[in-house]
Amino acid sequence: MPGYDRAELTAELKVVASPGAERTPREQVEAVRRVAGDSGLAHEAGPETTVLAGGRGEVLDAVRRVVETALDAGAHVVEVKVEAERDAERFGS
Amino acid sequence: MTTTPTRTRPSASRTRGGIGESVGRPDGVPKVKGEFEYSSDLHVEGMLWGATLRSPHPHANIRSIYTSDAEAMAGVFAVLTHEDVPGRKVYGMEIPDQPVLAWEKVRYQGEAVALVAADHPETARLALGKIRVDYEVLEPVTDAETAMSEDAPKLHLSGNELRRVDVRHGDPEAAAEVVVEGEYEVGMQDQAFLGPESGLAIPDGEGGVDLYISTQWLHVDQDQVAESLDLPPEMVRLTLSGVGGAFGGREDLSMQIHACMLALHTSRPVKMVYGREESFHGHVHRHPAKMRYEHGATRDGKLTYVKANLIFDGGAYASSSNAVCLNAATFACGPYDVPNARIESHMLYTNNPPCGAMRGFGAVQVCFAHEAQMDKLAEKLGMDPVDLRLKNAIEPGMKFPFGQEVPYPAPVREILGRVREIPMPDEQEAMGRDLRELPGGVSNTTHGEGVRRGVGYAVGFKNIGFSAGFDDYSTARISLSIEDGEPVVRVYTAAAEVGQGLVMVQAQIARTELGVENVVVEAADTRTGSAGSTSASRQSYVTGAAVKEACEKVRERIFELVRDEFGESDELAIEDGNIISDGREIAPLMEILDDGEISEIVEFHHRATHPLDENGQGDAHFQFAFAAHRAVVEVDVELGLVRVVEIATTQDVGKVINPKALEGQIEGGIAQGLGLALMEEIRIQDGEIQNASFTDYLIPTILDMPPVKMEILELADPEAPYGLKGVGEPPTIASTPAIVAALRNATAMELGRIPVRPEHIIGIPKKPPDELPQPESSRYSGIGRLEDRRET
Repeated sequence: MPGYDRAELTAELKVVASPGAERTPREQVEAVRRVAGDSGLAHEAGPETTVLAGGRGEVLDAVRRVVETALDAGAHVVEVKVEAERDAERFGS
Repeated sequence: MTTTPTRTRPSASRTRGGIGESVGRPDGVPKVKGEFEYSSDLHVEGMLWGATLRSPHPHANIRSIYTSDAEAMAGVFAVLTHEDVPGRKVYGMEIPDQPVLAWEKVRYQGEAVALVAADHPETARLALGKIRVDYEVLEPVTDAETAMSEDAPKLHLSGNELRRVDVRHGDPEAAAEVVVEGEYEVGMQDQAFLGPESGLAIPDGEGGVDLYISTQWLHVDQDQVAESLDLPPEMVRLTLSGVGGAFGGREDLSMQIHACMLALHTSRPVKMVYGREESFHGHVHRHPAKMRYEHGATRDGKLTYVKANLIFDGGAYASSSNAVCLNAATFACGPYDVPNARIESHMLYTNNPPCGAMRGFGAVQVCFAHEAQMDKLAEKLGMDPVDLRLKNAIEPGMKFPFGQEVPYPAPVREILGRVREIPMPDEQEAMGRDLRELPGGVSNTTHGEGVRRGVGYAVGFKNIGFSAGFDDYSTARISLSIEDGEPVVRVYTAAAEVGQGLVMVQAQIARTELGVENVVVEAADTRTGSAGSTSASRQSYVTGAAVKEACEKVRERIFELVRDEFGESDELAIEDGNIISDGREIAPLMEILDDGEISEIVEFHHRATHPLDENGQGDAHFQFAFAAHRAVVEVDVELGLVRVVEIATTQDVGKVINPKALEGQIEGGIAQGLGLALMEEIRIQDGEIQNASFTDYLIPTILDMPPVKMEILELADPEAPYGLKGVGEPPTIASTPAIVAALRNATAMELGRIPVRPEHIIGIPKKPPDELPQPESSRYSGIGRLEDRRET
């Protein structure tokens, strides 16, 4: 992340909600946001996108929980992009 | 201004305009004559005008956004929403939590929702009115303490506490013979820069964009804009335009991404300029704070412990709140030797306007509180307040409560002692005085009756530069060549001149190091490597060091040429464009350089800093600056009107680079401190700004500003270029508590909140009495009497 306080690891998760699933696309996204929020690491980054930022272990654990929640909620695709601090260092450089 | 040199000056060249001289601003005359081109003056043929639709609600869900009517308007070229953000839909300096354009929720009044580009600014404004946004209005969270409660609505996914920093030092349960407690509150101050946010984005026809912008940090803007445009940074080029003040308010993004989106979408240049009201919604402000303090001391006045609970309102989005939270925690005890401390610093999300960087950056709020506590403690101990401070002044070699060793110089004792010695202003008979020299001035509110004088002292300190592990390095390229038969030095950096005078400092350093008078400081842009932010009083140190080292490298290359050509082995120097050895002129630079150019690039990194550990301990900062203030005020105790008679100050600056510019920084900083003490506050009710104009948001004028007596210390920091220290922020930090201390001295009132308003001084209660006095009641005859008001 840019600026003063960079996280060791950042994961951006985009839920591609499935319209045909038992739960509505909206409910699928909400379920993901709830679990991501419980991690204490999350921020919204778009209508279907959530960012998890923090230490490597805690972010990767949270990513697994969020992806499982998305799949359980009926999503078929979750796009995950993980950046280590090294990549973030270019901010402001 | 008097200065106190405490070390031998480095050998300076005889070239005019070097360090230590009051070199004038190159942009001074054009600014005074109205000829300077600010970013709001930019113009290019065929440009469109951008405008921003903002949320009228501090907290609401967005059900839908209809743009068709606006798109159909003649003269409208684009209407964009979050769906049109090509890349990352959020931005933020620390945490990217702020939507470029809101998608389903708005979290503060004024949040950007949609954009318009049109062929005329009025057309753009009318088009904004044609965009229909269906909001579901929600109850706003408008108080940081409310945001902390368990049952408060979560404004962000992971809750409302953005950051908490705990500092634990010594024995957290330490007891003391004498204890004082206090609660303090700081209102939301605005940077109140005069030039509103503005810029011009020009598409390059190849998918990239050039942005001409007034900002504090070109490269962090570039990276964030590129991320949201989904472009590589090199396709987003930024050039600094004329900046009309900043004070932290331009460190974060405003219209940068928006203008570029509109330009790329329309393939036309797009200019955006905020109006004054929009500007109040368009940048971050100083954090409001509520602070609870407890100081313990021995009966003879030695501090035993400090406990503090600091609660900051960060507003809707993070901006640089994380760093402010850390700064406040590290400076919470003041520049004192505190053996035991327990500090909790909390930063909360609310639905108030986002807060972020502003001159003083967390040190301002806590300085108001810890200095009030020191006065309270002095009163309880029956001690002189300056003596109490002197007794507890921190010194080099001691440890700050956050675990870092106090580096040399840390002249707290010296600046306090000296500020007390500055002669006091003459006592004047209040009655019969010129009205302009009385509280209320020509409003004719008093002719001297009810006017009391008070004196107050305060001392404060702050870090220079970025902290806690952030490497805010700076890059400078220096070229030396012959142009029109004269040696010319060109200085290339990306450092933003925002009015503070860096443009002179860079030139002065180059003249001193290269002995060439003709120095051109080129416009800052992203073609040169990052210079970091123009904030944290850091540019003279960090970019100054980069310029100095690059000049030294250029100079050394010239000397190598001289040695090769002339076989000189003595020590060489350059003076007034000539190579000198042992007082002899060897050759003019023209001859050495011929038609060639010597160019060097330097990236300067200051000493590494480190994040705080879980107990708030660590070497978090690389330089500290200290200033002390004495305020003399006069108060009309019947109407609560205040005249600041005089401010005296002592500040350690390490080295005076430009005396006139230094004076300006100190006086300007004090003006901003006076504003916070007495008048500057963004008034917010239910999350909505009530005074988004310079009619209603008051800033000090020349009539409010007192004479300033200053004494400057030059105690060299051994790690800094020329020993200098950053000077921009310290004048703002302790001037506010000094003024409020003087008010307390004049009125004997507690005054735990700033800005202090007339109603605080005369004690008007917040609510009317339950029962109004009737004509026959005993209280009726006392209506309006000061004593009666206070009893109420």
